[in-house]
Amino acid sequence: METKENILLEVKDLRVHFGDEHDPVRAVDGISFSIHKGETSALVGESGCGKSVTAMALARLVPQPPGIYAGGEIYYYGNDVLKMSARRLRQMRGNDISYVFQDPSASLNPVFRIGYQIGEVLHLHRRGLNIRNESIELMRLVGIPDPANRLDSYPHELSGGMQQRVMIAMALACRPKLLVADEPTTALDVTIQAQILELLASLQQRLGMAVLLITHNLGLVAGMAHRIHVMYSGRIVESGFAEDVLLHPRHPYTRGLLNAVPRLNGVEGRLEGIEGNVPNPRDMPSGCKFHPRCPYRREVCIEREPADEEVREGWLSRCHFWREL
Amino acid sequence: MVVPMPFLEGIMSISNRPMPFSAVDGELLRVEDLRVYFGHHKAPVRAVDGVSLAVRRGESVGLVGESGCGKTTVGRAVMKLVEIIEGRILFGGYDITSLRGGNLREYRKQAQMVFQDPYGSLNARMPVGQAIEEVLHVHKRGDRAQRRKQASELFHAVGLNPEYLGRYPHEFSGGQRQRIGIARALAVGPSLIIADEPVSALDVSVQIQILNLLRDLQRNMGLSYLFVAHDLSVVRYMCDRIMVMYLGKIVESGSSERIYSFPSHPYTEALLSSVPDVGKGLDSRKGGSKRIVLKGDMPSPTRQIPGCPFHTRCHRARDKCRVDAPRLRRVHPYQWSACHYAEELLEENRTASGTSKSDAF
Repeated sequence: METKENILLEVKDLRVHFGDEHDPVRAVDGISFSIHKGETSALVGESGCGKSVTAMALARLVPQPPGIYAGGEIYYYGNDVLKMSARRLRQMRGNDISYVFQDPSASLNPVFRIGYQIGEVLHLHRRGLNIRNESIELMRLVGIPDPANRLDSYPHELSGGMQQRVMIAMALACRPKLLVADEPTTALDVTIQAQILELLASLQQRLGMAVLLITHNLGLVAGMAHRIHVMYSGRIVESGFAEDVLLHPRHPYTRGLLNAVPRLNGVEGRLEGIEGNVPNPRDMPSGCKFHPRCPYRREVCIEREPADEEVREGWLSRCHFWREL
Repeated sequence: MVVPMPFLEGIMSISNRPMPFSAVDGELLRVEDLRVYFGHHKAPVRAVDGVSLAVRRGESVGLVGESGCGKTTVGRAVMKLVEIIEGRILFGGYDITSLRGGNLREYRKQAQMVFQDPYGSLNARMPVGQAIEEVLHVHKRGDRAQRRKQASELFHAVGLNPEYLGRYPHEFSGGQRQRIGIARALAVGPSLIIADEPVSALDVSVQIQILNLLRDLQRNMGLSYLFVAHDLSVVRYMCDRIMVMYLGKIVESGSSERIYSFPSHPYTEALLSSVPDVGKGLDSRKGGSKRIVLKGDMPSPTRQIPGCPFHTRCHRARDKCRVDAPRLRRVHPYQWSACHYAEELLEENRTASGTSKSDAF
């Protein structure tokens, strides 16, 4: 499972900062993880933890300025994305890695017809195709009813769920090896959310692509991801197989998050969650970044930042006291 | 965290002026056959189309459904913020449907609202302390010094440092802003709070802090909540009873314990199976629970759908559903359903629960 051949993309000690080089906001501050072929992994965390910046960085999409790639490597088939030529990068985006974002109505251009917007992707990356037929095929793939007529619709004529299907169709136009889905269902209603999740899962099976799911919703992760990476303050604090991490969390933050989500069956009494707020990135605490909110903190947590420690193969925790949890 | 309530007596003493309302057998709010339509009278949007509900003193009632189902409009109608086409709203036994002017203001001291977006509902140019004092001023409570003192007591009650009263909304985090929204709603000493998606704009770890605050306030002050939300897990955490809305109608209601275990309407069933949930998600990996995926979108509320409003998307629809509109009826001592085949569904879930549901968590 953990062999090198299975790895599609490897992130090593990535650092993405924003603003002034001398006094930057360290949005992503030294994270490492791998994405395996055909697998679903998830980056989980609350707003401001750096999960979306990490996702954008995978295809070097963080704009510079204000972004600064301050260190680390992102290997895609042996090539470092951060050092690629602009030309190679353009080839890779869309072809190998593509994105689906949270709000489809903000990602679609309101003044162009759906058919044109899907066709644009095909025109850029896959010359010589019958664009119209291929667009219809893509729309059928993502379950848009009556695709031939829908080509002539404008985005506002479609519901939120249908708009997200169009976004997915565009993302899949070149059959990417990795689909990055950044909160793909957060803007949708529950029953529509279920439709989109079902679609993503079936497409993944059929096309054999890897999916990186960016979300704050642990319930979503539990149902979909093989591997999860829990982020806090620009770091991955725990990562491993979803069952392990969700059932036996080895980091107080993961534990707190799980303890903050009410369950459908309502068996828990009172949930305590996590006290306090996410730290201000301009004013990071010393030592372990989670220590001000951590119920297990001790002296050493304030003084020294913990390193990744292996709980088991493929399962890491960044807590001095993971053994005691 | 238990919130201390030293200010409670203060509020009670000021609010002890005679009220035109008195309680009848524990029922604080009663809504009867409420209808709210928007737009042109020939093809109106039937946002709320015959909703009845009751909230008892100290109770939390959840109103759940997806966007466009009319749940927010019900809340706004109870606050008398939208025009009511038909139906009655009783508060403490008094009909408030046509209240105006001073009487309406008296009523709004008793019923207050907490909104989804605390940033949007606070004036960005007004220090938050002033925003709270303004409420007291509008309702002619105390003099300036008393108002200031009360604002600081309210801040303390919702878990904020009273030293921050002079700060502006942008200086607070989302969770803190929602605390301010709650403090402002509590300022006039209401007995009913209508909470419209109070935590859906907040981060997971902050959500639970706000939910716990609302629970503590309820216990300490005997508040009643009409809790409007789309998140079924959150509603489960907060509410004793729930009502499920679809296209302006209540399709199922009853005790939450009952409904979450044994839904008797296919829409509730689909909603419950669609909600991403940690326990359910892990369960589904072992081939446990299966997701029911509804087809299509919610129809436009301008369209009059013959028969059951849900039949266009229902995974159990039959011929009868296309012509005959079901009424909300009692299917269990603690459960009402608007489905022709509720008994069948209950029976099915009861048999299934013997196997998979008992070990699901």
